[in-house]
Amino acid sequence: MNIIITGLITGSMLALLAISFSLIFGVARIVNIAHTAFYMVAAYCIFSLTGKFGLNPIAGMMIAVVVVTVLGLLAYKFLIDPIREHEAAVLIATIALAMIFQEAVMLIYTGDYRTVSALIEGYFIVTGVKVFYQQVLTFGVVLVVLALLWFLLMKTKLGLAIRSTAEDREVANLMGMNDSRLAMITMGISVALAGFTGAVLAPLTVLSPFMWMEPLIIMMAVVVLGGLGSIKGSFVAAFILGFTEALVVFMIPKGAFLKGSVALTIMILVLLLRPEGLFGISFEEER
Amino acid sequence: MLLEIAHLTVRYEKAVLINDLSLCVDTGELVSLVGPNGAGKSTTLRAISGLVAWEREIKRRSTSGDIFLEGTVTFNGERIDQIPAHEIVRRGLVLCPERRRPFREMTVLDNLLAGAYLQKDPKKSRETLDKVYELFPVLKQRSPQIAGTLSGGEQQMLAIGRAFMSEPKLLCIDEPSTGLAPRLRQEVFEKISEINRLGITILLVEQEVSLVFKMSCRNYVLSSGKIIAQGTGQQLIEDEVLRKTYLGL
Ligand SMILES: Nc1ncnc2c1ncn2[C@@H]1O[C@H](COP(=O)(O)OP(=O)(O)OP(=O)(O)O)[C@@H](O)[C@H]1O
Ligand SMILES: [Mg+2]
Repeated sequence: MNIIITGLITGSMLALLAISFSLIFGVARIVNIAHTAFYMVAAYCIFSLTGKFGLNPIAGMMIAVVVVTVLGLLAYKFLIDPIREHEAAVLIATIALAMIFQEAVMLIYTGDYRTVSALIEGYFIVTGVKVFYQQVLTFGVVLVVLALLWFLLMKTKLGLAIRSTAEDREVANLMGMNDSRLAMITMGISVALAGFTGAVLAPLTVLSPFMWMEPLIIMMAVVVLGGLGSIKGSFVAAFILGFTEALVVFMIPKGAFLKGSVALTIMILVLLLRPEGLFGISFEEER
Repeated sequence: MLLEIAHLTVRYEKAVLINDLSLCVDTGELVSLVGPNGAGKSTTLRAISGLVAWEREIKRRSTSGDIFLEGTVTFNGERIDQIPAHEIVRRGLVLCPERRRPFREMTVLDNLLAGAYLQKDPKKSRETLDKVYELFPVLKQRSPQIAGTLSGGEQQMLAIGRAFMSEPKLLCIDEPSTGLAPRLRQEVFEKISEINRLGITILLVEQEVSLVFKMSCRNYVLSSGKIIAQGTGQQLIEDEVLRKTYLGL
């Protein structure tokens, strides 16, 4: 039971992180290493807003997401966009960005572990296992956001343009889609989702300036397993890894220390055996 | 004149792809651009639809070489050579690219709707979609299918249908017959004729000279980035040297 609950929650969060990471990669070939750093910033925002300023937690979450989105767009405009066509430069720039966030958090909040109080306290018991209301809430909200994201991508014109540009941005231009503008919009959506994930996760975890690293690795493993650029793949792979992680943590003594290495092992195995991932597309040269 | 290209030159680094090319297309015409492999036919279409300039911008940003682009392109009385690709479509100059390039992961219907991206009025898109389905009944039948799983012929119909969805005044089609069986080629050309009869001007790049000359009004022969001959199919075929050397007939 514990495994199922943890697996579902971790899986759904990983799905959000991995899908939002894939989105901006798909549209603009940006590998955003700072993706989970944005998620950390959102978590700390909530910590400050609800703790220091005593704001209502829901308002805190919303403000945190907005703050992170604005930060993301600024970073895109001034840091990433000018070097967008240089994949290696983008990689280095976003690593730098993540480090900047880490050091900034370290300066402001010190390296101490922090916690954010739950939105709703209490728990109920299913088959002898404590299920916290906060866990159920988080899971529910994440599912709703995933559904909204699906709707945006599959049922709206903006979604159609995002998918088209992700698949072939040259041809997308021929249909009147402005790929630079879409990259900007997608960056906004991507970072907002990272911020949102951080916001809903905050009450369930401890905050530290290094909290972006482990999810980054696991998220990368999800993206590789699902197939680079495949949204459906990211979704399925997220739950596979979410459950694997839960299994490892609960079944193996001291398993919690193995989480990262399991993800890395899966990533390496996939790269060796099936580089295109579960649902990946083998990339064709553009011309 | 609907389209007027004057003194177009395109260079990639030192390589000259298009060399001082001028041509024009009048409203309602079906004009073909033929020539051997590597003559610069695709580059011409990419230049007028804004893709060469788009690619130049990317190359500049990634400092991976430069493209030199010069000359004027006038469409419907307006200079379009400084306008970005995604704005050129809006003017009604639409390119159906080489190798079809469908969005392979998307359904046939989504591919067609992507073509109608600029049409704000859903009712109008619906009408155009009905026209496309009328032209290509097979696309209606396959509308929920993933485009990557279509056959080559169907993918070509989809590519043309998708371009048609952008409501072109001038439809440029790049080698629609590549890789198709003779019977399918015939069919694709018939569809192109049909679109032309609907009043849409067509600039067609092709290697399949014998079929194209039967339906085109005028033709340009391109070799090494230069127009070396022009005229009706009959006139071009009568020229012995041209026929043997460039047209492969
Ligand atoms: N990106 C590029 N960089 C450098 N040279 C290029 C590039 N694209 C095309 N070329 C060269 O430019 C020339 C013209 O290419 P283009 O694709 O326009 O020819 P084409 O007439 O369409 O040929 P085909 O019939 O094979 O499609 C070719 O020699 C090609 O090798
Ligand atoms: Mg060509």
